[in-house]
Amino acid sequence: MTVGGLDSLLEDCTQCGLCREVCIVERLGAHSITSFLLGEDNYSSWLCSSCWRCQEVCPQGVDIHAIMVEKRREEDPPVAHEANLRRVLESGYALPIGKGINELRAIHGLDAVQLVPEKWVEILLRAQAGQELGG
Amino acid sequence: MALFPGCLVLQRMPQYEKAAKRVLRELYISAASIAHAACCGAPLESFTDKWLYLAAYNLSLAERMGFPVLTICGNCTNTLLRAEVALRDPSLRLVVNERLDEIGLHFEGGTRVIHLVQVLSEQLEGMRDKVRVELSLKVALTHPCQAFRPHEVLGFDDPLQPQAMRSIVELTGAEVVPYDAEYDCCGSTLYLVNEQLGLEAGQRKLSSAAGADVLVDACGNCQLLLERFQGLMNEGRAESKMPVLTLPQLVGLAMGIDPAELGVGPVMAGKLLGSSP
Ligand code: SF4
Ligand code: SF4
Repeated sequence: MTVGGLDSLLEDCTQCGLCREVCIVERLGAHSITSFLLGEDNYSSWLCSSCWRCQEVCPQGVDIHAIMVEKRREEDPPVAHEANLRRVLESGYALPIGKGINELRAIHGLDAVQLVPEKWVEILLRAQAGQELGG
Repeated sequence: MALFPGCLVLQRMPQYEKAAKRVLRELYISAASIAHAACCGAPLESFTDKWLYLAAYNLSLAERMGFPVLTICGNCTNTLLRAEVALRDPSLRLVVNERLDEIGLHFEGGTRVIHLVQVLSEQLEGMRDKVRVELSLKVALTHPCQAFRPHEVLGFDDPLQPQAMRSIVELTGAEVVPYDAEYDCCGSTLYLVNEQLGLEAGQRKLSSAAGADVLVDACGNCQLLLERFQGLMNEGRAESKMPVLTLPQLVGLAMGIDPAELGVGPVMAGKLLGSSP
């Protein structure tokens, strides 16, 4: 979805290091996308707590999230992320939410929910020749 | 409003949804379920741009109801709002609508997506009138990262040190105690990739907040890691367990609502309200 890809996303980065200073992953001794921004190879784009702090503090307005997404699509995903993906593609939900959901809700005095019909998920997320979103 | 609980709350935390609805009812705000709502789309984004189809789908359902979307999870808030922004691009909107058209839906755009913290922070006066029980508690807060950042999209509160939850909790009479890791992430998303690191992040928060009687969050992810997974930290030492409540559960207790209606167990309620269960 990004025009010009990684290079243009990285264009404004001055490698000032502010993003890495605020990153919780880095503070825990591991290496996130912020290490990639500082030119290092020893990192994983998946090691991230999605806190958006790096992007918020970047003085250059670099879209670090978009960079992370680009890199993730190149790198092997962790098992749990892949499982979530598969469930969403199959059922429309990231977690196993079955018909029993409404019994659970009733116990808690919550109204019944109507789940997304599987047919709709198929239509929404299937691959299709012609005009469609990439990836 | 149209309540969007998100997969995590839907599957694992009916207590949180229930408390949110109950407190909103006390404030005369309706929170209707969205029929056929699906995952917000977040788990797809790391793989494919098709996350936009799913986000637009959910938004179009809310559009049809004519209500703003009320979220109670940081991740859903962030994803749905970023989709709203991305879909201001007419060519993207066209592509997405071709797909939605096949199931009889249409995305127009312009729906407000508002996290519960923001909704409550716009109701301070109403809440003040509803407080029946002054809570004598020390409360540590953890703020849902993704409901505040990026500020460019979320446009609410101070993005690095949000204050909205503080102003809400202070109405209950509780003392909000600051702690070093207050604005750090809970570690929940990290747990998906590296369990050890995720738990370490959570542990850091919990130790840093140890001076409080209760930790209060406002996101399914925070509640999952800090409450449900707390037993996995600390070598599972139960005596050092920190009570963790969601924001509407705490606010509801101060409103004098029956703890059972807030999904708060009798032992926990007794502990927090200072009476025996
Ligand atoms: S804060 Fe921004 S400019 Fe500085 S290193 Fe990070 S991405 Fe580059
Ligand atoms: S969003 Fe990810 S990479 Fe950025 S500061 Fe947070 S944990 Fe680090």
